[in-house]
Amino acid sequence: MTTVISLLDQMGGTLMFLQKILRTIFFKKLKTHEIFEQIWKVTVDSFPTTAMAGFFVGAIMTVQFGLQLKEFGALGYLGALATSGTFREIGPLLIAFMLSGKVGAFTSAELGTMKVTEQIDAVRCLGADPLQEIIVPRFIGIIVASFFLLAAGLAMSVFGGILMGELFAGVNYEEYLRHVPLIVSPISILTGLVKCGTFALVLATICTYQGYTTFGGAKGVGRSVVTTAVTTMICIVVMDWMTSFIGDILLTIIRGYRP
Amino acid sequence: MLNGLNLQIREGEIIFILGTSGTGKSVLLKNLVGLLTPDEGEIWIDNEEVSKFSEEQYLPIRKKCGMVFQHPALFDSLSVYENVAFGLRRHYQLSEEVIHAKVTKALSLVNLHGVERKRPAQISYGMQKRVSLARTVALEPRILLFDEPTTGLDPVTTTAVNQLILDLSRELKTTSLVVSHDMNCALAIADRIVVLDKGSIVALGTPDDLKKSEHPLVKDFLAEVLEA
Repeated sequence: MTTVISLLDQMGGTLMFLQKILRTIFFKKLKTHEIFEQIWKVTVDSFPTTAMAGFFVGAIMTVQFGLQLKEFGALGYLGALATSGTFREIGPLLIAFMLSGKVGAFTSAELGTMKVTEQIDAVRCLGADPLQEIIVPRFIGIIVASFFLLAAGLAMSVFGGILMGELFAGVNYEEYLRHVPLIVSPISILTGLVKCGTFALVLATICTYQGYTTFGGAKGVGRSVVTTAVTTMICIVVMDWMTSFIGDILLTIIRGYRP
Repeated sequence: MLNGLNLQIREGEIIFILGTSGTGKSVLLKNLVGLLTPDEGEIWIDNEEVSKFSEEQYLPIRKKCGMVFQHPALFDSLSVYENVAFGLRRHYQLSEEVIHAKVTKALSLVNLHGVERKRPAQISYGMQKRVSLARTVALEPRILLFDEPTTGLDPVTTTAVNQLILDLSRELKTTSLVVSHDMNCALAIADRIVVLDKGSIVALGTPDDLKKSEHPLVKDFLAEVLEA
């Protein structure tokens, strides 16, 4: 019972914190310099990891699809299927996991340390709003950078797929890419973007909330980092299911009414 | 944490708040500047009841109540100069020349020279605490709240900080509330001393009054001074 109450308390707290962040974004002056600094920092710091993950995701998808398609003599569709699967589902999901482990944990630890060393209290005492000065730049920074990182990761996944197609299945790059426009539709790209935005929103909210509400010294910072890592992973998977489910319903409705 | 606490502070006085760890000394200071909200009770500052104030309403209160935290609480990403200028930029609309003059004056008050461009991580802990003090003093608040200002400082800097509290109080008529464990210092510079235990006041009076107190906790504090 206590666990359920604590979980509901955390969920409520996180949603109320998101509401405060959104109110700050819409009704207060944004610190544009800090926001661009955060976008740059998150993008540059996470680029190598995301690019490497993207490369191997593309390679793995190509190997897996290649094994199946070989049986049916349909290797011509290898590139299109691997790219579609990566763009729609695996790419955004794995990149969100990478960001959760790297950016989420870092932001939570950074904010947690600022909280326990009274830096956030000092900001308030010195006449500034911590949400405006510290939280919102990081929140927007994570969300915007996620799209850049997704683009880089997906580009690398195509590159990894082409390379593995050539080495593993003997499919050259022209053949690999030939059917991509046929299967990877604008809907596939939109699905990937919606998922990426949703995961980034979840990650940015949870890590800033956990960091901002840290208490209890160094141990508290550790607890916040672990909670951030675990909660974001679970929430990302749940949101993945939810976006797929809602997306499917929406597409059925749109297609159903389409003449 | 605090229970039935009733304390009036006079303008311009130096009041030391002593007590064992976890007894609510820092909580008391944080309640005064709205960093914590009391469950019940009232807090009056300059004829205004502030305990129910919103974050925005607290801004003018925080302008006149400067707080020096237990930790240096400096912003890692900013230089020493920018740390000291931070509050000046947020609370007031000042020209860069005025900000420069105020930052330089505040840093020289705490005997820091030539560190303006350094980051907090590049200076010692004692220097960080002095920068933190300079950052608060630069705002020229009428009320200064010190949360263990000398913890972690060497004896020379401790004496300098205590002297600074005394000077600010006497020359600028600043009211100072100092949370400390240092009875020796409290006896030397405080106008009045409050001893807290389990969130309540167990002794309140001038240093001479406290020397005559029969309360066991006060006696323990005084015994430490005598031993030293």
